[in-house]
Amino acid sequence: MAGSKASTPPKGKKGSVKEGIKGVMYGMAAHGHVTAALRTRMYLEHLFMFITLGDMLGVPVIPPYYSLRILPYAVPNIKSWKQRVFRERDFTDGVF
Amino acid sequence: MGLLNTPFLWVVITIAVYIVAYMAYGRWVDRKVWKVDAKRTTPAHMYMDGVEFFPVSRYVLWGYQFKSVAALGPILGPFIGIAFGWLPALLWIIAGNFFIGWLQDYGSLMLSVRKEGRSFGPITYEFTGAKGRRNLLAFVLFYLIIISATFIALIAAFWNAFGGTTFVPTIGVILAGVLCGQLLYRVKMNVFAVTAIGLLLVVFSIWLGIQIPVVLNFGVWNVVVWAALCAVILYFAAVLPTPTFIQPTNYLAFYPAYAAIILLLVGALASPLTNVPLAEPAFVGVWVTNFGPIWPILFVAIACGAISGWHSLVSSSSSAKQLDIETDALPVGGGAMLSEGLLALVSLAAYSVVAGLNPLGSSPTAWVSGSELLVAPLVGGRAVAGAVLSTFFGLVLIIYAITVQALVTRFFRLVAGETWSEGRFRILGNKHVSTFFSLGVSWLFAVTGSWWALWLYFGGANQLLAGLAIMLIAIYLAKSRALTRNYLIPGVFMIVTTLAALVYETYTFLNAFVQYVFLGNSGPLGSQTKPPVSGYPLAALTIDAVFVIVGVSLFAVGLSMSIRLFRSYRQSKAEARVRAPAAADGGDPAKEEE
Repeated sequence: MAGSKASTPPKGKKGSVKEGIKGVMYGMAAHGHVTAALRTRMYLEHLFMFITLGDMLGVPVIPPYYSLRILPYAVPNIKSWKQRVFRERDFTDGVF
Repeated sequence: MGLLNTPFLWVVITIAVYIVAYMAYGRWVDRKVWKVDAKRTTPAHMYMDGVEFFPVSRYVLWGYQFKSVAALGPILGPFIGIAFGWLPALLWIIAGNFFIGWLQDYGSLMLSVRKEGRSFGPITYEFTGAKGRRNLLAFVLFYLIIISATFIALIAAFWNAFGGTTFVPTIGVILAGVLCGQLLYRVKMNVFAVTAIGLLLVVFSIWLGIQIPVVLNFGVWNVVVWAALCAVILYFAAVLPTPTFIQPTNYLAFYPAYAAIILLLVGALASPLTNVPLAEPAFVGVWVTNFGPIWPILFVAIACGAISGWHSLVSSSSSAKQLDIETDALPVGGGAMLSEGLLALVSLAAYSVVAGLNPLGSSPTAWVSGSELLVAPLVGGRAVAGAVLSTFFGLVLIIYAITVQALVTRFFRLVAGETWSEGRFRILGNKHVSTFFSLGVSWLFAVTGSWWALWLYFGGANQLLAGLAIMLIAIYLAKSRALTRNYLIPGVFMIVTTLAALVYETYTFLNAFVQYVFLGNSGPLGSQTKPPVSGYPLAALTIDAVFVIVGVSLFAVGLSMSIRLFRSYRQSKAEARVRAPAAADGGDPAKEEE
């Protein structure tokens, strides 16, 4: 994840200044785009989860055979998926 | 040349005042009002999902916040502001940011952090109910249309100026951006190589723009055609996937845009050495013909450099979800706003060295002339670098407008999608229809030519949004039994000022309408619009009537929202008085017992 890399504490005063400048440049030039790319991935993952688990939620999207085949890949993401889907969303979330 | 008759001295003084705002007032508010605690868990940690919620270093978040809030506002606002003289404009940039601007950005960020990373929509719902949120939605829709109209009008005016040298570079930046996106996402090329290729293409397109100027020959209809062309580009920006158009284009546009700010700051600080004197009067008067009274007009003309409501939406949208620790809120929210004040400051410096500036008569392209005057002596003089600097700074103006406008158009589409997702008007929720609708209306407003009136409406709506955001913050602080006066006083000031500005602007359009229809006097009607619209009295009259409706609607929605917020504030205060103590720090029982 881009953010966690940048939040690593810099070493020494010189290193701190260098990390600060790098962080500012990254924040100005690319961070918004990285966040937008992550959001796009999030929506695709939502779709993936829905396709996989739709059958179990009462909305059959693909045949259960395939659902069960890809279930092991979906299970680790169920918790974060639930958290994101249930989160209150609003038009003001889409500003940037 | 002395220090007093160049922009140097007041640039240095303003920087010093901003440092005091950050180091003294900022830290006081941090400690006494918000009682920030680095140990309290922020939403970035509480809900970390690696997608929307994740902690980011303060440097990255500052850069992101600054990039998100700095646009055309602080560059063009001072152009109207300087009609009253550079001194009042400067004082508002200093005092507005010191007492209100940074406080709002920082407060919005903190409010959202304390409210689990929620954005302003749900917070408005919590504090003012469903009607309040609907009011906000309506207000934001109006606001987006007005921003779009203003920016389209300005982009068209910029393409029409500078001898037509900026159109090719603009298209160059867009095409280079799209190419960079393909190289980055499809070819998976290294980001540094892609950036280098993109920047070389931008430099090439600037050169090409000087060699092949694009000049239209439609006379007074030039701006109408340019505005239509701009709307077409924005349409593609809004409907295409962001990684295809907006993302890479905005990424590439970042470099020339920020290089220009640094150049301008250096030029303003070096002005005593390069002998660039102040050419504008310090003070013109408290009433300027065609603009009106200094209060409230100046306070809405200079919006983003002093205070801007848009920032509250930005602060509560992404930044609050990624704030690592609470103590980072001051450098991120407050620091980014104070830095934006510097952008307004250097823009004011650029305008102040241009002689004979008349915001009504001349074009806002004067920023380019001023920038050229300040920077040219550093790069070999106007004779050597004049054409390149003029095209470069002209391109920068357009970049600031078009990159933000692409995001605004896209945002309108998202808001429209939510507003009209079902019901009789669901066709307006369709992404193509809503984009076409917003750009069509904006284009119609833009071609009236009265960009300054649109700017004042935009400023009024923007500052009113700021006032409303400050009141939301004050409500939260009242509920938390924290100090509210630092927010309440600026909130009331901004709401009263901006409602007054909206009334005045609506009056000017209404007056033009009444004068023409009932008294047969076409003078005011002619001054409210520009050719070609002003040549057709019926069209000008219709536009006037539409602007009256826009002004009345903005005022009504703003007033209704303000009343709800004031009621909610009063109620929160009353509840806080009778409730068990709870501090803004979340009500730590240990602290309450003290």
